[in-house]
Amino acid sequence: MTAETSFDSAQRFILAAKGFWTTQLYTNLREQYGERCAAQGVEPTTVPQVAAVAEDLTVYRYFAWLERHLQIAKYSGRYGLAHYYREHADEVLKDLDGAAGQSSNLELDPALRMPSYYVATDIHQHPGGVWSEPTAGLVYQHGARSTTPLLGASHGDLHARFTDKILEGGRPARVLDLACGFGKSTMPFASKLPEASIRGIDLAAPCLKLAASNATKAGLTNVSFAQRDASNPGFADASFDLVTSTMFLHEIPLKVLDRVLDECFRLLEPGGRMVHLDFWHMPDPFTRFLHYGHGRRNNEPYMQPLAELDLPKTLAAKGFVDIRIEPFSETADVDLAAVKAWRFPWTYISARKPA
Amino acid sequence: MTSDKSDGEQRSEQVFFEDPAVDRLMGVVLALATEHYVLLDRVHVLERRLSAAGLVPDAEAHAAEHADAAALAEALFRPLLGVQQARGAAGRFSLARTARTEENPQ
Ligand SMILES: C[S@@+](CC[C@H](N)C(=O)[O-])C[C@H]1O[C@@H](n2cnc3c(N)ncnc32)[C@H](O)[C@@H]1O
Repeated sequence: MTAETSFDSAQRFILAAKGFWTTQLYTNLREQYGERCAAQGVEPTTVPQVAAVAEDLTVYRYFAWLERHLQIAKYSGRYGLAHYYREHADEVLKDLDGAAGQSSNLELDPALRMPSYYVATDIHQHPGGVWSEPTAGLVYQHGARSTTPLLGASHGDLHARFTDKILEGGRPARVLDLACGFGKSTMPFASKLPEASIRGIDLAAPCLKLAASNATKAGLTNVSFAQRDASNPGFADASFDLVTSTMFLHEIPLKVLDRVLDECFRLLEPGGRMVHLDFWHMPDPFTRFLHYGHGRRNNEPYMQPLAELDLPKTLAAKGFVDIRIEPFSETADVDLAAVKAWRFPWTYISARKPA
Repeated sequence: MTSDKSDGEQRSEQVFFEDPAVDRLMGVVLALATEHYVLLDRVHVLERRLSAAGLVPDAEAHAAEHADAAALAEALFRPLLGVQQARGAAGRFSLARTARTEENPQ
């Protein structure tokens, strides 16, 4: 069995290596890209044009290799998260199943069919995806501590800030969190809106069990979780005044997204809001190039199609109004233009069903 | 030991370098470096224990573990940047070019 301390040490080293990638390697790549553009007298505006300049930079090859392989090291292999939780499955699952067994805040559907796009790719390079193994929710929760490098230890910030921004526009009473995972995006609504009723749905049973257990441990009684497909979620028309999601839209094919948006519209009461946090706003072609590459390297095949979609037009065609799509800062007090390190192009996507 | 799940079909890994040998060798380097750090961490823990018992001096001199990890990552990957540490002849090494000048003596 892998010693606990060795697992911790190895994960700490992998995270530190990611730190180097996020700062020095990224900065160096940007510089060399800039220098090469200047030397060639070009100002690329499209991804293929950027690729023509950047792809044979040696530093880009290392940047790309490390992006893929540090994630492999994090999840797979003898110090990987998947292996660690498999080895500790007995103890960690006893706790989880115990909590799930007695909770009324969890509805699982063993007959729910997992869509083919979902089972075809191990998302985030998580072996078996977030759904196929009993420990998958715990693996995902552990992995998510370090997905947003800028935040370091305070990954929780992202979801809390997103919730706060939504609540600036009013306090909803009935909230649906689509693709809630292990509930990280759901919990801030439950704690900040004690008087509201909060529902979270996801395809992944192991994640939902963890979400329900986390909510119970946090003493939150206004939130419940159900195993449902966001493109066919059930619920009566006009059941919610807020439908939200975090890091979900880029995980589904466009034809599924189309159905999800129709469902959002159907589930909202007139005047209700739909707000998603995802990756879309990328005015700089080099950022876009790295983002498409990230999708490919991290097993997120629908990242590029979402980024290429004409989102304002798509939402308007569905009948949404008050469409707002703007960059979102994942931490407080950050001047996004001044950030030198690599970061995700977080985007706040908000619209309203006409009253 | 259990194996990771994508078994069944053998999928080939993504390739980033002109010669995939470099991709694979990088994997070896990363695995070795990780093992090195794991061992280093163990040694530090031992040192702290020994020093607490008065058997070796000065274990406190070791910075926090995170700083250790960051320092190793920095040392390990710095060469990837391809930046000179001391100024001199630069670029691809070759003695094929013979013409030397006052400004470019190399
Ligand atoms: C990146 S996670 C985000 C989880 C959570 N919102 C958070 O912020 O931590 C994406 C989630 O989408 C879920 N998912 C993917 N396709 C889905 C679908 N069609 N219906 C419901 N959930 C889906 C996955 O199971 C996964 O938990």
